[in-house]
Amino acid sequence: MTGPDESVTFGLTVDGVAHEVTARWSESLLTVLRDRLGVRGPKTGCAHGRCGACAVRADLGDGAHVLCSCLVPAATAAGATVETVASIGSPDGELSDVQEAFLAEGAVQCGICTAGFVTAATELLEQNTDPSRAEIEAALYGNLCRCTGYGRIVAAVETAARTRREATR
Amino acid sequence: MLLAAPMFALPETPDEALAALAERPGAVVVAGGTEVMPDLLWRTREAAGFVSLRRVGALRGVRVDGEDLVIGAGTPVAALTGAPDAGLAAAAASLGTPLVRTEATIGGNVVSALPYRNLLPALLAGGARLELTSATGVRTVPFDGFVTAPGRTGLAAGELLTAIRLPRHGGFADYVKVGRRNAQFVATVSAAVVSRDGVVRLAFGNAGPTPLRSDDVDAVGTALLDGQATPADLRAAVAAAVDPPEDPIASADYRRHALGVLAVRLVTRAQIDGGLGS
Repeated sequence: MTGPDESVTFGLTVDGVAHEVTARWSESLLTVLRDRLGVRGPKTGCAHGRCGACAVRADLGDGAHVLCSCLVPAATAAGATVETVASIGSPDGELSDVQEAFLAEGAVQCGICTAGFVTAATELLEQNTDPSRAEIEAALYGNLCRCTGYGRIVAAVETAARTRREATR
Repeated sequence: MLLAAPMFALPETPDEALAALAERPGAVVVAGGTEVMPDLLWRTREAAGFVSLRRVGALRGVRVDGEDLVIGAGTPVAALTGAPDAGLAAAAASLGTPLVRTEATIGGNVVSALPYRNLLPALLAGGARLELTSATGVRTVPFDGFVTAPGRTGLAAGELLTAIRLPRHGGFADYVKVGRRNAQFVATVSAAVVSRDGVVRLAFGNAGPTPLRSDDVDAVGTALLDGQATPADLRAAVAAAVDPPEDPIASADYRRHALGVLAVRLVTRAQIDGGLGS
């Protein structure tokens, strides 16, 4: 339970929608997203920064970047913007090139890690249009998958990068 | 102040942070959250609220001030992977994952003060000093001796670590750690070196309850660099100087052995570098 002294109220914009949140002071951004706002793209995996299933793109005043939402005290993001996997692709459900590549390459099995991998891979391709295999592995080092063995995931990122380069040629 | 609740404060300046802390004496100072949030989850830490430094822009960034590199305590570890000090850069690059490094800060690594923290040997080998800020001003103390026990430091109540001063040097610096696997691992033991003008300074992580260095070890390390001692001499000097923990991760004997191996490895690298600078 959250007593009045333990609560903190702040604004937060998630996937373009402005919210006013009241949460316990120690609640993580992940908990606020999933349990208070019903934003279920980020997943709860390890809850301590190892697995990357909760990865979101957030701008906490020092530039947008991908982080583990389980490690961020939610109120730290007061007034900030958060983009989850729902901001990747189109609101009507059309998949992004990265998501299409994950499907085409069979990079999804149980799916709990997928939103985090797609988020991290999308960020990588924003910064590097032609990543090497080593660069892909380094960029995805903070995301764990216990189904695929990673080979299909790396292949999906390579495919997405190639598709994007060919589309912009 | 971006946000002030009875148990949560989100200051924008160091002064606001100090005031927020004074008003919330039971609060934990949290920067990136990468240590504090799991601690709360696992109930290994008690806190009566947060004072978050995450939005204090003045604590972020690296600048040169005369002979020193001045690193804001809120600088994320990700920003240090390309630091001019190669030892610090290597320690930063091997910390956690890319998603953790964007949030974890050098200040959090220092103040959390656990013996296996990545950056601590690099700071000790480099002769770092710490700027501690309180309502009455700033005091600068050596990092050597700042950690008094695992998780405990000389930081006074109402005081904030605001910057780390690392002397710039033209020599060789490096950091190595070993763990139980090759991905996302906590250091079973670690070591760092700074070698310049023919003098070696080594420091060790998880070699005792606090970050550890020894004049005796440095004397033998310097002799090894100069060809006046053998690797076995340095391993023996390290074994005599360290007091490593015994825990389910590794025995004290294993750690003592591995620390000697790492010391020799670093001095060998410094020899190969030949004083050319890393």
